[in-house]
Amino acid sequence: MRTRFLIVDDSELVRKSLRTVLQANPDWEICGEAADGESAVELFKELHPNVVILDFQMPGINGIETASRMSQIAPAVPIVLFTQHASPDLERHAREAGIRSVVSKTNAFPMVGMIEALLGPTNTEWGAGGSAGSAKDLAD
Amino acid sequence: MGEQEQVNILMVDDQPGKLLTYEAILNELGENLIKARSGKEALDHLLRTDIAVVLMDVSMPELDGFELADMIRQHPRFQKIAIIFISAVHLTDLDRLNAYQRGAVDYISVPVVPELLRAKVRVFADLHRKTHQLEMLNRDLRTLSARLLATQDEERRRIARDLHDSIGPLIAALSMNNGMLAQQTKKLGTEVAEVLQQNNQLVEQLSKQTRTISHLLHPPLLDEIGLLPAIKMFAEGFAERSSVKVDVELSPEIGRLPPNVEISVFRVVQECLTNVYRHSGSKTAYIKIAPAQEKLLTVQVCDEGKGMPRTNGAPASPGSNHGVGLSGMRERLRELGGTLEIKSSDKGTTVIAAVPVNKPMVKSV
Repeated sequence: MRTRFLIVDDSELVRKSLRTVLQANPDWEICGEAADGESAVELFKELHPNVVILDFQMPGINGIETASRMSQIAPAVPIVLFTQHASPDLERHAREAGIRSVVSKTNAFPMVGMIEALLGPTNTEWGAGGSAGSAKDLAD
Repeated sequence: MGEQEQVNILMVDDQPGKLLTYEAILNELGENLIKARSGKEALDHLLRTDIAVVLMDVSMPELDGFELADMIRQHPRFQKIAIIFISAVHLTDLDRLNAYQRGAVDYISVPVVPELLRAKVRVFADLHRKTHQLEMLNRDLRTLSARLLATQDEERRRIARDLHDSIGPLIAALSMNNGMLAQQTKKLGTEVAEVLQQNNQLVEQLSKQTRTISHLLHPPLLDEIGLLPAIKMFAEGFAERSSVKVDVELSPEIGRLPPNVEISVFRVVQECLTNVYRHSGSKTAYIKIAPAQEKLLTVQVCDEGKGMPRTNGAPASPGSNHGVGLSGMRERLRELGGTLEIKSSDKGTTVIAAVPVNKPMVKSV
């Protein structure tokens, strides 16, 4: 089964680039795109993605708020915050919202490897339950 | 403005004839003349109208001129009223001294020389008018400066947002494209791989500089996750750019504050650190933000520099480079009902801002 990604970013250019990067892996597919947090949460409920790539600064609710709403719905699904503002403080807030990893938009290169590590040997399943923790939780 | 604003002149005498005489003398000034037949009547007028000059007889039945002057001076609102006594008796130096001690500006003896009385009243009427105009202008200036500061904040926020929305995605896309190319380095020649490597570094520099500009204009974390992370991030960036070692002590119980308080406190800290770097020569700075009372926040920024230049024993006046920043900080804090205190010596400067906040800051777990 292919890993399905939900991409959330208010910039179409960034969404397009993410699509190109992620689709370079034949086992990965983009199941949906959203340009703001509110509609991302709706798509999240509807599409059941395996991974969410999430922008931080967006119109309406920000990435942290979006992530905590998603984490309440399905805590096992890994969320990656993809931001221009990566900093230790933001990372702490991100962790509290259930975000697994923060990737700087200006140095996106490590992202692919990091997602592979997050996914672990098996794909994430919806309804797998468990709290948002390290990538290992997802293997159960 | 063609005609000048009229001021009120209150004339107090128990003899109607004298009141008519003063009226005839002062009519030509073009001010608004009000007559009172007793001290009590005079007080009624004072309470109801803004009076510039009180012209009064010393000897009156019931409340005499001196007693009335005492009552006028006791009231804070009447401190600036010019009191002129007129007297046919009580003409010793002691009487005059008595009048001046009660806050009179002049003591005229009878018979009154009309031209002199008119000239004296004119001086005080003009003074009152000018004081009033200055107060109005001051109030306008304060309103304007508050509006300018708010507009400046809004403009900076907008430019930072534009940078984020326009250049940010371009940098991210460039970085991702470079990342894809980097995975293909084996297929590229050494030279091309090197150019790609250089491009990666250029993108990183471009991103860093854009980020610095945008953060100085308006810190993104301020709106999204609050004052304390924004201050911490700003202090880290400042320390890196300036080589000034910055220690930060922030009380976590402060939490989120109203947006106007967060931006003002942030700007005060930003201004203080800029001063530390530009003027103090200090190699260290210390920022402490903590609640002083349940609803009072204190912001303290200290350095170990050479202190602020002093003019006539007072800290730098507005007009010096220091002063402009300081006036800005004062205005911001005044808008919030807060205060700014500066302690400066040759061992360093401490700026302490106190800001009232309308929610209790209690320790949270």
